[in-house]
Amino acid sequence: MILRSVLVLVLLVVVLSPASESLRFELQSGQTKCIAEDIKSNSMTVGKYHVVKPNEDQPLPDSHKLTVRVTSSHGNSFHSAEKVESGQFAFTAAEQGDYISCFWAAEHSPQITVTVDFDWRTGVHTKDWTNVAKKGQVNAMELELKNLFDTVQSIHEEMFYLREREEEMQELNKATTSKMFWLSFLSLFLCLSVAGLQFWHLKSFFQKKKLI
Amino acid sequence: MEKRRGKMWALMCLLLLNWVGDVSSLSVTVTDVECVYEYVLYEGDTISGNFVVVDHDIFWTSDHPGIDFIVTSPGGNTVHSLKGTSGDKFEFKAPRSGMYKFCFHNAYSTPETVAFYIHIGHIPSDHDLAKDEHLNPINVKIAKLREALESVTAEQKYLKARDTRHRHTNESTRKRVIGYTVGEYLLLVAASVLQVFYIRRLFSKSVAYNRV
Repeated sequence: MILRSVLVLVLLVVVLSPASESLRFELQSGQTKCIAEDIKSNSMTVGKYHVVKPNEDQPLPDSHKLTVRVTSSHGNSFHSAEKVESGQFAFTAAEQGDYISCFWAAEHSPQITVTVDFDWRTGVHTKDWTNVAKKGQVNAMELELKNLFDTVQSIHEEMFYLREREEEMQELNKATTSKMFWLSFLSLFLCLSVAGLQFWHLKSFFQKKKLI
Repeated sequence: MEKRRGKMWALMCLLLLNWVGDVSSLSVTVTDVECVYEYVLYEGDTISGNFVVVDHDIFWTSDHPGIDFIVTSPGGNTVHSLKGTSGDKFEFKAPRSGMYKFCFHNAYSTPETVAFYIHIGHIPSDHDLAKDEHLNPINVKIAKLREALESVTAEQKYLKARDTRHRHTNESTRKRVIGYTVGEYLLLVAASVLQVFYIRRLFSKSVAYNRV
């Protein structure tokens, strides 16, 4: 599977709770790097990406352009762009799962390194706070406190989620131990039956051979 | 008018000074070295985070070298390093501002998936308070509160990544237990059948009459 290819370095971003990131990574020409995020259902997600220019004044040469594709784990494509320098996408995740965004750098004879700056936010951090502030005469402190309140709520939700996962794992462990319990009985039974069959078969064999 | 501008400026300052850099739980498949770059705005910022090796294709024996984690400052010095672990937390103060490099090194040949989270937190100090009259001591308190909440979020991400790792371990254990048990049964049956055949052969006329 391409994601597990040893030749291709895969970046999997597993965002398990609302979080923001401004991540910078390097792509070699012809290389693919994919970022996957585990997004909860009905949560908003926003992503922005751009290529960091090696030379500030000059325009970006074609060799440094990216191809981007954002897909869900079921294969639905949410965003795709060919040979671009920057872009952004936003969508609401319909269901919980892994959403993958992959970046390709085009093949080029001398291997060049493309530095990509990627900002992917989900949940609480999608609200663009500077825009909210500009709109009204919102008190700066009030804004900050609102932000903190939302963070606390997301922490609370995350705790519930973690609790659920722990419970699932507990169930899995219980199932494994009970299975082992029954399997040990089965192995005892199998052992005894095999021994019994051997004995019976050899006894009848020797009786046929008139040795007993 | 002046008051409005003052308020907007305070808001901008607040947002700027409370700017925190986050990288959400990122999973990297590390074949050899995988690096992520993160920009630190102020000297003295606290860089905190954690990483966990989430999924391994092979079962780690006791002599597995583990994953190395190295943080390099913009000057090229190694600021922080953790060697040969399956996951750990870290926290240190940035000696200077600039672009920091966070690298994972896999000494073993098989690719490993590492989930990590990095947070760069800045709290306005008394020096900043003196410089900017719009900055209130309460903003410092809010920043401290925000940092405390971020540490809770970081801990949650760490726990979640560890939970994922434990789940993978449990599932692999379950599969291996069942596999080995079934294999054991088959071997037992095969061994007993071979025994019977051998004994029959010992007594067969073609080999040697009454050799036993």
